[in-house]
Amino acid sequence: MDKQRKNIAIIEPSVIVYEGLCNLLMKSLDNSYVYGFNDLMEFEEECETAIFNVVIVNPIAIINKVGSFHKLRKKSQGTTWIALQYTLYEQALIAKFDDVLSIFDDPELFFQKISKSMKQSSTHDKDVEELSDREIEVLEQLVKGFSNKEIANSLNISIHTVISHRKRIVEKTGIKSLPGLTIFAISKNIISMDASSL
Amino acid sequence: MQQSHKIFIKPNMKMFDLINDNYSLLLLLEHFEIDFAVDDKSIEQICEENKIDKNFFIIIANLYNGFFPQRDDLERLNNVQDIIFFLKNSHRFYKNDKYPEIKKYIEVLKEKHHTKDIIEIERFFNEYFNEVLEHLDYEDRIAFPYFKQLYDKSECSVNGEFSVDDYQEHHTDIETKLTDLKHLLLKHIKIDGDLTIRRKFLNSLFGLEFDLKIHSMIEELILLPIVRKLEKLNG
Repeated sequence: MDKQRKNIAIIEPSVIVYEGLCNLLMKSLDNSYVYGFNDLMEFEEECETAIFNVVIVNPIAIINKVGSFHKLRKKSQGTTWIALQYTLYEQALIAKFDDVLSIFDDPELFFQKISKSMKQSSTHDKDVEELSDREIEVLEQLVKGFSNKEIANSLNISIHTVISHRKRIVEKTGIKSLPGLTIFAISKNIISMDASSL
Repeated sequence: MQQSHKIFIKPNMKMFDLINDNYSLLLLLEHFEIDFAVDDKSIEQICEENKIDKNFFIIIANLYNGFFPQRDDLERLNNVQDIIFFLKNSHRFYKNDKYPEIKKYIEVLKEKHHTKDIIEIERFFNEYFNEVLEHLDYEDRIAFPYFKQLYDKSECSVNGEFSVDDYQEHHTDIETKLTDLKHLLLKHIKIDGDLTIRRKFLNSLFGLEFDLKIHSMIEELILLPIVRKLEKLNG
């Protein structure tokens, strides 16, 4: 998924409510994609590979699944979780969310809450596609075939730091596989064709 | 997961209308070996005429339209043969149609732009294609016969070689490399001109990615759960 595009998930079993929400959101939010899920399980399956800025949840989806919900929250650190309320729930349940939306809210208020959440969750977005000097150093060693440990020793940094750099490289380039990164490195003249370990 | 606003398919709907709504269903028909001259027939009629399990057809068709199968729909499926038939036809499509097509585009690009980038892309793609062939071969030689034997409850001769974890890992690797290729071509690699070939190349990649994603979902969401159920029954 494109990191500059905002991804909104809606966990709501009613297709009617989902379509209504979806329509409103698509009409007024630029550059946002809305995804619908019937229940928490469907969302969990897709969540492995997707990153959402905002997740709007019908609280009925987490009743008896509070444990799973907490796990999901922990896994997705930059995500804002909003409860979609159209009937009364226990305050304790609603309190597990970052914010609440009522279907009786004015659409304006509705958008404000969502936009606010998206701004907050995009503090990680530095919009920098360029790799830093350090990241280039790590990438160079990586595609030459060195292990995380060897890279850490060679650059005098911790393995943990190497792993963070690797994550940033993947985020910035969108490329995950080693052969793919190798082509990237060759194309940017970070290494020459013969130096690659392909 | 509903992302596109495609039609949720039901048995009495007309095939023509559904193709009009989403023409990638033509691929689905090809994998089922169903002729495209669908006239005014409903899904139900087409399945009956072609001796295909209606429930299975509808679940797959809905996958093409962006809808995940629900638990109760899946409970009604247990015929491993139908699923393997569909998947084997998909394999033929990848091996004999899609990959050679993409390989040709790369060759044309290489002829006109003999740069290090294109040479590396060709190498990347060839390695990737070989991985895919190995995976498809693994399925045809080991996984599918094993599933068939479980279903037929016949004597197991490929016992012990099949691993669910390996199976799922292959899918992830293959999808990752395809995504990497997209990122490389659309963001990082500079090629001058030849937009037409590059457009065809990218279209092929996107088309392949779409069908492969559905292929993996069928294996993981439909086939594997049935296999696990059968394994439990067989003790």
